[in-house]
This record gives sequence, C-alpha cells and structure tokens, in this order.
Amino acid sequence: MIRLTINGLEISVEEGTTILEAAKFYGFPIPTLCYMEGLSPYGACRLCVVEIGEGPKARLVTSCTYPVEEGLKVRTASSRVIKARKMILELLLASCPQSKTIQDLAAAHNVRRQRFKQEYEDCILCGLCVRMCEEQMMAKAIGFQGRGENRSIGTPFNIKSDICRLCGGCIYICPACQLRCTYTEPEKAICGGCANLSPPCLEKEQFDDMMCYMEPCVACEIKKD
Amino acid sequence: MKKLSSISELTDFRHRILSEKKFEHEKLTLVVSAGTCGQASGANDIIRVIKRCILERSLQENIEIRVTGCHGFCDTEPSILVEPGLHLYPKLSIEDVPRVIEAALTGDIDEELIYREPQGQKRYYCQSDIPFFRKQTRTIIASNQKLDPIRIHNYIEQGGYAALEKVLLKSDPEWIIREVQESGLRGRGGAGFPTGKKWELARASNNGKGQKYIVCNCDEGDPGAYMDRSLLEGNPHSIIEGMMIAGIAIGATKAFIYVRGEYPLAIKHTIIALRQATDLGLLGENILNTGIDFDIEIVRGAGAFVCGEETALIKSIEGYMGEPRQRPPYPVEKGIRGCPTCINNVETLANIPVIISGGAKEYAKVGIPGNTGTKIFSLVGKIRNTGLVEVPLGIKISEVVYDIGGGPLGKAKIKAVQTGGPSGGCIPASMFDLPISYDSLAEAGSIMGSGGMIVMDDNTCMVDVAKYFMNFLKGESCGKCFTCRKGTQRMYEILDDITKGKARLEDLDLLEELALVVKDTTMCGLGQTASNPVLSTLRYFRHEFKRHIVDKRCDAFVCKELVGAPCQSACPLGTEAWRYVAHIARGEYKEAYRVIREPNPFPSICARVCDHPCESKCRAGTTGGEPVAIRSLKRFITDRFDPSTYTPKRTEWSDGEPPSVAIIGSGPAGLTAAHHLSLKGCKVTVFEAEAETGGMLTCAIPSYRLPRDIIRNEIDSLLDENITVKCNTALGKDITIKGLFKDNYKAVLLAMGAHKSRPLKLENEDVEGVYPSIEFLKAFNLRGELHAKGKVGVIGGGNSAIDAARVAIRQRDVESVTILYRRTRDEMPAFVEEIEAADQEDINIQTLVTPVKIIAENGHISAIECIKNELGDVDSSGRRRPVPIEGTEHTIQLDTLIVAIGEDSSTDCIDPVSESEIEITKWGTVQADSKTFLTNLPGVFAAGDLVTGPNTVVEAIAAGKKAAVMIERFLKNEELVRPAEPCIPKVYIEPVAVDDEMQKAGRARTPQAPAEWRKRSFAEIEVSLSVDEATREAMRCLRCDLEFTKKPEVEEKKTLPIGEKMA
Repeated sequence: MIRLTINGLEISVEEGTTILEAAKFYGFPIPTLCYMEGLSPYGACRLCVVEIGEGPKARLVTSCTYPVEEGLKVRTASSRVIKARKMILELLLASCPQSKTIQDLAAAHNVRRQRFKQEYEDCILCGLCVRMCEEQMMAKAIGFQGRGENRSIGTPFNIKSDICRLCGGCIYICPACQLRCTYTEPEKAICGGCANLSPPCLEKEQFDDMMCYMEPCVACEIKKD
Repeated sequence: MKKLSSISELTDFRHRILSEKKFEHEKLTLVVSAGTCGQASGANDIIRVIKRCILERSLQENIEIRVTGCHGFCDTEPSILVEPGLHLYPKLSIEDVPRVIEAALTGDIDEELIYREPQGQKRYYCQSDIPFFRKQTRTIIASNQKLDPIRIHNYIEQGGYAALEKVLLKSDPEWIIREVQESGLRGRGGAGFPTGKKWELARASNNGKGQKYIVCNCDEGDPGAYMDRSLLEGNPHSIIEGMMIAGIAIGATKAFIYVRGEYPLAIKHTIIALRQATDLGLLGENILNTGIDFDIEIVRGAGAFVCGEETALIKSIEGYMGEPRQRPPYPVEKGIRGCPTCINNVETLANIPVIISGGAKEYAKVGIPGNTGTKIFSLVGKIRNTGLVEVPLGIKISEVVYDIGGGPLGKAKIKAVQTGGPSGGCIPASMFDLPISYDSLAEAGSIMGSGGMIVMDDNTCMVDVAKYFMNFLKGESCGKCFTCRKGTQRMYEILDDITKGKARLEDLDLLEELALVVKDTTMCGLGQTASNPVLSTLRYFRHEFKRHIVDKRCDAFVCKELVGAPCQSACPLGTEAWRYVAHIARGEYKEAYRVIREPNPFPSICARVCDHPCESKCRAGTTGGEPVAIRSLKRFITDRFDPSTYTPKRTEWSDGEPPSVAIIGSGPAGLTAAHHLSLKGCKVTVFEAEAETGGMLTCAIPSYRLPRDIIRNEIDSLLDENITVKCNTALGKDITIKGLFKDNYKAVLLAMGAHKSRPLKLENEDVEGVYPSIEFLKAFNLRGELHAKGKVGVIGGGNSAIDAARVAIRQRDVESVTILYRRTRDEMPAFVEEIEAADQEDINIQTLVTPVKIIAENGHISAIECIKNELGDVDSSGRRRPVPIEGTEHTIQLDTLIVAIGEDSSTDCIDPVSESEIEITKWGTVQADSKTFLTNLPGVFAAGDLVTGPNTVVEAIAAGKKAAVMIERFLKNEELVRPAEPCIPKVYIEPVAVDDEMQKAGRARTPQAPAEWRKRSFAEIEVSLSVDEATREAMRCLRCDLEFTKKPEVEEKKTLPIGEKMA
C-alpha cells in the first residue's frame, strides 16, 4: 500500500493506482473529460490537473496518468489548479460551446465569460472514442490523423471502414456529443447542426463529420412534420 | 579492411595509422568544407575544379585534397583552407581556384582572395587569427575540418577510437559513469539533465528482461539551428564512438540514431561510417572478442518537430504516430517496447570520447561550475559572421554576439537574441552581460535549447517574432493534449490580431494568462516551453506590444497592416510620399504639390534639409536596391510652385470669441503650430527672442543648404491676419508664462528649441578663439560675423559639426578645417551625404581622437592636445565605446576651435520664472506628455527640440502640428487623446505603365555644384532634377500603396433579381 496525502487527508491506496482513482475513491471531485473507467488513461483534456510537490518544485500533473507515490502531497483544488482549470474550460467553451457537458462544467467552475474568438467545433479530440473502439470494441476502426491544428478523428483515408460494426460505442462515450442532439425537437437541440445542414437532408447517409450516427435521420424526421 | 579481433589489434592498428600521419604531417593540403551548407553554396564545383587542376598539372604528389564537413564559418562558404599554413580563402568562385592553388604551391598567400574582415581592410592570414575563430574553444567542431567523414582512417588519425579502447581495456562500466558524472556534462539537447545521472538511472533500471537501448537524438527541428546536422555529417565516427561508450556504460546492446529525413548527407555519411566500423569489427556481435554486442540502426524521422521530444521519438521508433505520452514513467525506466532507453543528443555523445580520452577533470576545467564544457551555438540573424560557434559555457552573450559574431550587419542596433529555437525566448540587448548557462538562460525566461542563437536588430518586430514562432508551434504541436493544441492556436490568434491592429489592451493580459496556463498544464516539453516566445517578448518588449495596440504602429516596419506604405508611416507628418510620387510619374504636378503641402507647411524647406526617413524605409531600398529619391522629387515639385499660391482650408472658431494663444519660439515647431491654430480661427501671437523668425532654420542651417529667400517666402506665406509676430521678445526677460496668462492668453506653447551648445568641460574653454557651434553659426547666419580664422578645428560628428566646418571653410581668413571625432566614421551621427560633401570640400576628418586639453597663449587658443582612441566594449547605445590609448597624446595647432558635441534644450529662460515650476527632465529637456504635449502646468504645452533635445526639422514640424491639434482640443474642452488609426494608403491612383528598363535604372543623382566652386560660395549646392529625370525616378517607385487601395468600380454592377439568369 502506498501512503499519500490528498488535500491534507492522509490516505493509502494500492500501488499502481493513479491520483485520479485515489481521489475519486476518497471522494475528492476532479473534473475530467477524457477519462473513463475501463479505458487506458490518455491525458488529453488536461482538466484533471492537480498540484503536486512543494515550494518551487510544485507543479501541475494530470491526475489520470500520474501513479501514486509514497509520501506524495496532492492538492486537487489549489488556486493554481483552479486558475488553470478555468482557463482550460474557457478554451473548451470557445471551441465547443454547444456541448452540454462542457457548459455544465464551466458553470460549475464559475466560468462566466469566454474571451476568445468563438468557434463551433464538434470535437475536443479527447480520444475516448478511439480508445473505446480499440480497447473495448476491439475494432480499431477509427484513429487520429493529422497534427496540431489539423488533427482530427476518422477512419483510415476517411473512407467507410469495413472494420466498423456501427456499434455506436464512440457516440455513447463522447463527452461533446453526449446530450447534444435532442432528436426530433430541434428547438431544444444544443447544436442543431443537422437541422442547419444545407441542403438539410443527406438521406440515408450518416452525418460523419458531426460524429452523429442517428438512425433514422433527424433531418428527415424534421422534414416530415 | 581486415576485421580486428582483439583490443590489442585495435591498439596496433591505431598506432600504425598515427605514426603514418606523423610522417605526412607537413604535406600541402587543400581543405574544402562540403557539408550540406558548403555544397549548397557551391563547394562541389570547387572540388571538381581543384581535382581537374591537380590532374592537368600532375600535382598528385604535391597537393592533397580533403573534403570535410562544415568548419562552422558558414558565411565564408564555399571556401578553401590551405594547410599547413591554415590560410582561409572565403567565398570563392571557380575562377579563383587556380590562383589559390598557384599561391599554395609557391608558398605564397593570395592577398586579394585571403579572408578580410567584412567592411574592413584588415587581412587575416591564418584561420586561427580570425576573430570569429580566435575567441572560440573548438574542442568538438574543430575535428570537422581535420577529417574526411567517410574515411575511418582519418578519424583514427585524429585520435579516434582511443576512448573506446580505453573503455574496453578498463572493462568497468561504473567507471565510465563516474567519469561522465565527474565531468559535469549536461544534456546538450536543451534541458540540461546531467548525462552521468541519466546513465546511472538507465544502468540501474532492469525493466525489460535485460534489453536496453541507446538512442542518439538527431531530430533537430529548430529553425536556424544545425549544429547536430553538421556534427553527424562532419564527424559521424565520434557519435558512433560516443554511443558505444554509452552502451557499454548502461549495458545496452542495441542503439538507434534517430535522424531527420531532411538530412540526407548526414544519413549517407552515417551509413558509411557504420559500415566501416562494422567492417573493422568495432560494431556487431562480440566486439574485439570482449563479449560485448553492440549494434546501431538508423531511423529516419518523417519531419515532425515533436519527434525530438523523447517520448514521441520512442513512439516514432516503434513505428507509431509520433506523439508524446505523459511521463512518468521516464524512458530510462520504460522506453522502446517497454525497455529502459537512454536518449542522448548528438552533441552530448560527441563530448563523450573527449571526456574519456582527456579525463573528466581536464574536461571540467572548461566552463563554469555546474555548466562545464563547451556548447555549439548556431549564430544566425542580423549579424556579420554567421555560423556555428563553439564556446565554453559561462561566456557572456555579448562576447558571442560582438566579438565572435562581429556585431550588427548594418547601421541598425542589435536589439535582442533569441535562444533555444521556438521553445526559447528573447533576451534583450540590455542583458547581454548574462553568462550563457542552462540556469541563467532559464532564469531570463529563455532556454539553452539545442543552441540556436538568432540575433535581431531594430528592424525586427518582436510581436512578429512571437507570432512567427507561435505559427510554427501551432502547426508542430502534435495536438494530443488540448491546452497545447488550442493554446498555441489561440495565442497565435491574439498575436495575429495585434500585428493587424485589431487587438485591445485586455488581450495582452489574456495572452499572458493563457501562456502561463499552457506552460503549466501541457503534457510534454514542446507545450511546456511553447509559451516562452510569448512570455519572454512580453516580459522584455511589452512596450512594442502596446505600441501596436494603442498607437497602431510597428516601429520595425514589419507588420504590414500597420505599416501600409513605409514611406508614409516613416514620415512624422504622415506625408503620402507614394501618392505624390505617383502623381509625378503621371505628370500631375499640381496635384502632387497639393499632396505635399497639405500636411506640411514647409515643403520647400523639407525638400532641402529633411533627413528623409521615408527614403530610409523605402521598400525599393530595404529589399536590396536603392531607395527612391523621394526628397529630390519633392524638391522637383516645390521648385515649381510659389508657396503663396496654395490656399489651405480655413474654419471659423465655432464657440464664441476666438481665443488667444501665445507661442514662444518661431522655429519650425512654433510656426507650424501658429499656422494650424490660425487656420482653426485662433488668434496667435508668436514671440521670438532673436531679430528674425525661423529659429534653427535661419540661425543654424547654412544658406548653401537652405537659401534664405526660400525660408522667407515659406514663412511669409504662413503669416496671416490671425498671427502676430513679436521679434526680440524673450521669455524670462520680456515676458513670463504667468504674465501671458494674465494678458488673457488661453494657452501657451513653449517651442524654444535647443540652442545651448554643450561645453567640452575642459580648461581654457572660455579663451578667445573657442566657440560653441550654435553661437558660431548664429553669429554668421544672423549677423554676418566671421569668427573662423587660420587653422580651424571642429569637435564633434553630428550635423552641426559638419555645418560649422563647412561654414568655416567658406569664411575669408580660413586656411584649413579639421573635424575631430572620437569614434569612427561609420558611427558619425551626421547625414552620410553631408559627410561626403565635407570630404569633397577638402575638410579633413580625423576619427578616433578626443581632445584632452586646450592650450592657450595670451588669452587666445593656440593648440589643442588630443589623445587617440580605440574601440572597446559596446555601450548602451549599441556602439563600441571609444577607449583612449595611453601615450598617444599629441597636439594640433589651431587658431579657432568650434565645439559641436551636441546641444541642450533652451530651458535657461524658464529658470528665472521658476515660480512657474515647469518640470525639467534629468536630460535638461522640458517634461511634456508625449501624446498631449501638456507640461505639468495646465494650459502650457511644449513641443519640438525643447522636449526631445536636438532633433530633425520634420520632427519639429510634426510636433508643432500635433501640439496645435492638442491646443485646439484643450481650448474646446475636448478629450485630448483619441484612439489611433493605422496609417495606411486610402486613395487609389492608377499606376502608369513601366517598362523593364526603367525599373532596372538606378536612383537619380541630384546634380551638385562642383566642390572647388562651391567652397568659396554660399550659393545653393543642390540643383533640381529635370522633368525627364524626375519622371524616371518616380516610375521606380514600387507602389506599396496598391496593396491597400482598390480601383473604384467605374461600371455599375448589373444586379439581376434573384432567380433570373444572365442572358
């Protein structure tokens, strides 16, 4: 057993546990978007940063990837952590304002403004879907492509994948997609992307670039009314 | 090659090669540096010609040729180095080669081709005497020029594989690690982790069933850094040796060299070197029967910057997408395929054989404690000598930049160096005393990085620099972690807005806040240092960011959206130079005059004496050619129009009785302000202490440059019923500021200029025959008094020194005139054309002398004692400080001495009225707000030289104009400061067709009267251009304005109702 302190509370956990798991177990909330039990930690969203160490050696690390160490002193909500977290949320809001999950997190952290140029992206590239597909569905149908600002998720060569079983695990797990589409009630929709398509229907084709695999097509349903 | 099978065989082999080398030591050798850089500049052609010459003349026995990697002095390539004399012949063309060979054969030196100081005439016959090489400590890179990288024998000749032999004989890995630890070597890749410590950790780690790896990191992606390439290219065996020693130390049997695919020559040389080492039995299984296996494989990087990061590099070697993973575990615990992996930089590994052969203690003597050894920097940018320099750690930045680099490339002052590539930061010139070490650079907000050192001067915009690096990083960030991907994009967005004048001041705080969070929360080294370019420029150059945001100006003339047409932004008055030049090309002279006159009430005067900042920023000049002769074109137009024919737009004073404004001083600043206020309907009274108006224009500028009737005409055209001029009325004597307010003046503008010559502060300065320059010029220009007699000396190097000298030589009783200046001619602040004119008029200019004593006889000057100077360290102005050489005192016989070492603002007259309490700065100028021109007293404004110290005419006019605007706003009770707008061209002028011949034509030369004739006359020297010349010159304009203006749509667009199709 490894002993460490989180926010002053001395705890002991098994070796190999991450800080995030330890904190969750003892009831310290740490927000995260790219962590999911059962999937390997990835450290992409950076929301789960916590402060470790003391004095000039204090630094921020992602709790989802950092294994516990003997005598480690962890602060999950120090001012440095909160400042970083708020800025990350602000950046997230600037990129994906439609996501209910991100909106809720921002609200919970008292992020009241967004000072960057507003974008309307669908994806924060947390990689949950990629890991879901690979680790739980054993498919490896989707993966990352491109670098930096051109990074995106897709099937190889962006063509329909033969390996994909359309299991929907990727949609299920997506923090940006989650709660996004309200199906046939477009006025309640958070993104409304499908309703705003022009022309507004792609018939049977899936809305690949929105990572939406709804069947039947929402746009078609709207048109019927 | 026979395979060696024991350590003793290696020893024998080495000794045999070394003894052969001794025998051939003195052989004449031509060394051609043909690294990638050398080949790109034509080294291959040089080699071909040398070979042909040797074959044609059958010189095989006499001359040897050695093709080597880069010797580091990239500026000189393609070059030939002649051994054994080490004569360096730089920048050769193929025609020069036979001459070099001829000289080498006869043992001579070709005086014409041998290396010379840039811009200097001093020749250096031996490579090691050249300042660029002399100040370096070349332990690593010096080998490059001594060996052919594709010959293992050459490497062994230089003592190669001796360290390996030593290690194998000792057969004690712990000893190696102790040695490396003791040497204090730190990772040269940038982070500076102690190499010995890393090896110890790697040795102790036993994660991977015994398998361990060594990786040589040659994924050098920093823009402007290429030392790793040149090491791998020029001396691959030293890297291989270093890797083998590292492998033996940590117990690894397999190694990788991860090299960028963009380095084909390095890859080629490494492949050859690996094959040779394998053939010799130094690589492979059971090396030299010691039971040690060691194998090296080359992995080519596909060009992602992030793959230089160790965890991403491991992924890339494993065959996955090159993206980092979160550490811990560190690679020394869990690296390639989960096995302990020790990753070292190329330069680190190149240091290992040196440490092992020479001993750790010896190695640790170089450098400073904690930062031992040497480091190679690639010195590039706005500097004279570019190339790879190897210096001991702890050396000052200034030594690298000025002593080795040779200082700035042109006249512009060096402003900063950028170290560490995109992840590094900028260090301002004021901190150049900083010793270069891992810790001091980190403290200054930069990093050592792989060792790029980019020198920047005043023509570099720091916002643009930050934007450039951020653009690089946003493309090179792998994108895995959110803060790095989005953070760099957002920082770029904000920086881009700043350079386009769209940002607000709050954005700076946001930028800083974001940069700190990115630094704190990203996954790998790339993200953690990505903020450095932003944070360090914000830390040291925040004023530049603010200038972009608040004033919408880019002082380096880089940010296009703020600069517009450089000629227009460079003019303090914002004169649309491009516009009148375009009108001249079209033959529309009247229109051109209107464009010139509108912003400037003194166009004819400026056409003669303006220091033409427009020309110095003209793109035709800054892009390699000659600038358009804008001032001559202005002269061409103004000569055609009488100033009185122009009627400016007038407005009546709107709120009630027009207020009275008092202006003290009738120089360009005062008169411009008076003119502009009178146009707005104010009643203005101008008070002048002298008998004539015009200030410095009349009392200092000689009439051969500026004829008196031109001044009179132009001033008279400005005076109208709203302006009253009172000459012979001095502030402090006849009037006081308080008194003016009592006399119902609503505002006062102080524009008395800078008429107080600075004294030398030497004994006997008050004797007869010694004159302050302004007094001397005034006495002549205003009263016609001839003070200069016999032998005249002028001290100083500014325009007023040259004016005084040229006026003196025109005076009747003058025998000769000598200018004495303490620095060199290059550093003289006077205009170049003025210095040239002085030369032509037989004025003797002595530089690097300082007067130390005035010798007087009977109350009259008889001689002056001077001391010679040499140039020393660089001072705060970026120029080398003159340092007196002891024992070089000498006397110069003189009858007249004119002191022209600068002027101070005329604040004396304010002192008697000190009850008015005008704040004076420590430089003796009046303290006034740079934007509102308000002094500390309400209603009292100050402008011109009085505020800035001695300055140009156009600056004074601009100040007067801006002050007038402020005074008007003040009188109307309006907000003084308003948001700035970028000054960009707004009017479209159809360009004329220009043929090729015209564009290639050189700059028009203004005809000048012959020197012999003009020496005795005060008639104007410069003559106007002819119509043909002027049109031709105007057509040379590149028309930068067209990028911002659009041809107005003449034809009305036919709009069709939606749904209808065009027929």
